[in-house]
Amino acid sequence: MTEDSSEAPRRVRVTAPRTAARATGGSFPVAREMAEQSEVGQLFVASLIRSQLRLALVVAGGFLVILIGIPVLLAVFPDINSVTILTVPIPWLLLGLGIYPLVIGCAVLYIRSASRNERRFQDLVDDD
Amino acid sequence: MTDALDSTGLQLNPAVGYTALVLVALSTVLIGIYGLRISRTTGDFYVASRTVRPWWNASAIGGEYLSAASFLGVAGLILISGVDALWFPIGYTAGYLMLLLFVAAPLRRSGAYTIPDFAQARLDSLLVRRVTSMLVVVVGWLYIVPQLHGAALTVRITTGLPSWVGPLAVVVVVSLSVVTGGMRSITFVQAFQYWLKLTALAVPVAFILFRLGADGREITAGGSAFTADLNTTADASLYGTISLVIALLFGTLGLPHVLVRFYTNPDGASARQTTLIVLGLLSVFYLFPTVYGVLGRIHTPELAAEGAADATVLLLPGRIFDGATGDVLSALVTAGAFAAFLSTTSGLVVSLAGVVSQEFFQGSVTGFRRAALLSALVPLIIALLTDSLALAGSVGSVFAFTASTICPLLLLGIWWRGLTDAGAVAGMLVGAVLCGGAIAATALLGPLAGDPSVWLAQPALWTVPAAFATMVLVSRATAGRRPASASRVLARLHTPEAR
Repeated sequence: MTEDSSEAPRRVRVTAPRTAARATGGSFPVAREMAEQSEVGQLFVASLIRSQLRLALVVAGGFLVILIGIPVLLAVFPDINSVTILTVPIPWLLLGLGIYPLVIGCAVLYIRSASRNERRFQDLVDDD
Repeated sequence: MTDALDSTGLQLNPAVGYTALVLVALSTVLIGIYGLRISRTTGDFYVASRTVRPWWNASAIGGEYLSAASFLGVAGLILISGVDALWFPIGYTAGYLMLLLFVAAPLRRSGAYTIPDFAQARLDSLLVRRVTSMLVVVVGWLYIVPQLHGAALTVRITTGLPSWVGPLAVVVVVSLSVVTGGMRSITFVQAFQYWLKLTALAVPVAFILFRLGADGREITAGGSAFTADLNTTADASLYGTISLVIALLFGTLGLPHVLVRFYTNPDGASARQTTLIVLGLLSVFYLFPTVYGVLGRIHTPELAAEGAADATVLLLPGRIFDGATGDVLSALVTAGAFAAFLSTTSGLVVSLAGVVSQEFFQGSVTGFRRAALLSALVPLIIALLTDSLALAGSVGSVFAFTASTICPLLLLGIWWRGLTDAGAVAGMLVGAVLCGGAIAATALLGPLAGDPSVWLAQPALWTVPAAFATMVLVSRATAGRRPASASRVLARLHTPEAR
């Protein structure tokens, strides 16, 4: 976040954000424009969206099954409540500590696969 | 507001409270001014020029997101209802996982600044934009109110001043920093406040655990800290738990102050990186309120009976330590709590002001400033007129509301090209009426006995699917209204930026 003061832009009058958004809205590469317009390109995009959605649903589904599984398990086998490690009952350990590594694990898994999908798409478009 | 605490005389040394509050307010304003000096362009003002690095941005998101409900409410709820309360921090954290999976990168690529901007760009409809704007404003106001209740509680306990001083102080500091600095300086302030909040919880806990260990006292009282049930009325059902988790997981997707932060990332990939860091920061943070709650079950159990459980974090250090050490640690948690109200409130005010100023003031900076004042004053009035409920619980209702309204719009808008403007409006209205009705009914009828009350108290499990179903069915029925630009917009959302 440090900024070199010599290249800092001059202060300006702030204007409506819609125009600002358009002005700074990101540069879209030529390959991407082509992908959006040609028929083959549209097929590539559609397949990218499908694979990203499938990935997100699989990760979310797996996480939710484990998450919802915990209260269901505790409701079906209430005896688990009396098992303790160093006086801390198992449900407290699972819910207070155990979930968080699972959340982060899911996130890492997803980011890797999602970036791989995007790289594959870009390779396809660049070859075109 | 409630006076439960006055009778019990549970108060800290006022000098401690004043010192902590003044220090936090001063450092917030100073960092804001520093940020203003380097806030030069329009882009800086609204979205910090979209150049905020992932670590800064993630700290800022954490600073903004960890509200009164997290800092005070989670420990209070654990004090009252034990293991069931652990679902709150899980939901608050895992909400960001859902955000990462379904929203983060596409939303960044949309190039829109607010949720209404996104809705208009995606569906090409002014009506959708209006409806979304109104929902965003309602959500924001509802979310600010519990922050101000938390401020009222904290100021009363720590300084002995009347309840209205806390909310007023928060609104004044927030208005000052938002009106002057814009997004870039707010990013600095929020990032600083995450680390302040973490330190404010972690250091006293370390001292307390060390002291208890040195005294040879059993930290968990032989496990009875976990089993003692302090409030037998709060018995969570399986339905209630699952519904709460759904509300928290999907409610995070629609929070206006969370989403605006993603526009400050340089590109989609860094939006994902930011979210991953946020997950780490939140996971670490939530360990501490949990420890406070467990310790509170042994050392401050009377707070549960007096309806003052949210004060657990503030009072616990003073219970373990006497004299100067107790004062310093109490000052630290007080500062952290105040930082929590300030950062969440200012984040919400910034994002609401963005929406309101574009809707009613043509997006000029003067308009932004007027809108910021408006966004802060309305919740202040509501907060002064209403009583504080359990903080974590009232924030939970707001999550259920966003999960039933804005979340379906975002998810279907990003992933389904069949969404139409009619479908979006119908779905949001159905979700708002059902969920808002359930929340209002719970508030008006009070705690009911029997089965129907949990269906109303935790409505997400049926209102979220109802909103999704309405949106899909109405969109199918009005397929002719699909915007011609749908394919192009979706392609833009999902294709990566240039390498």
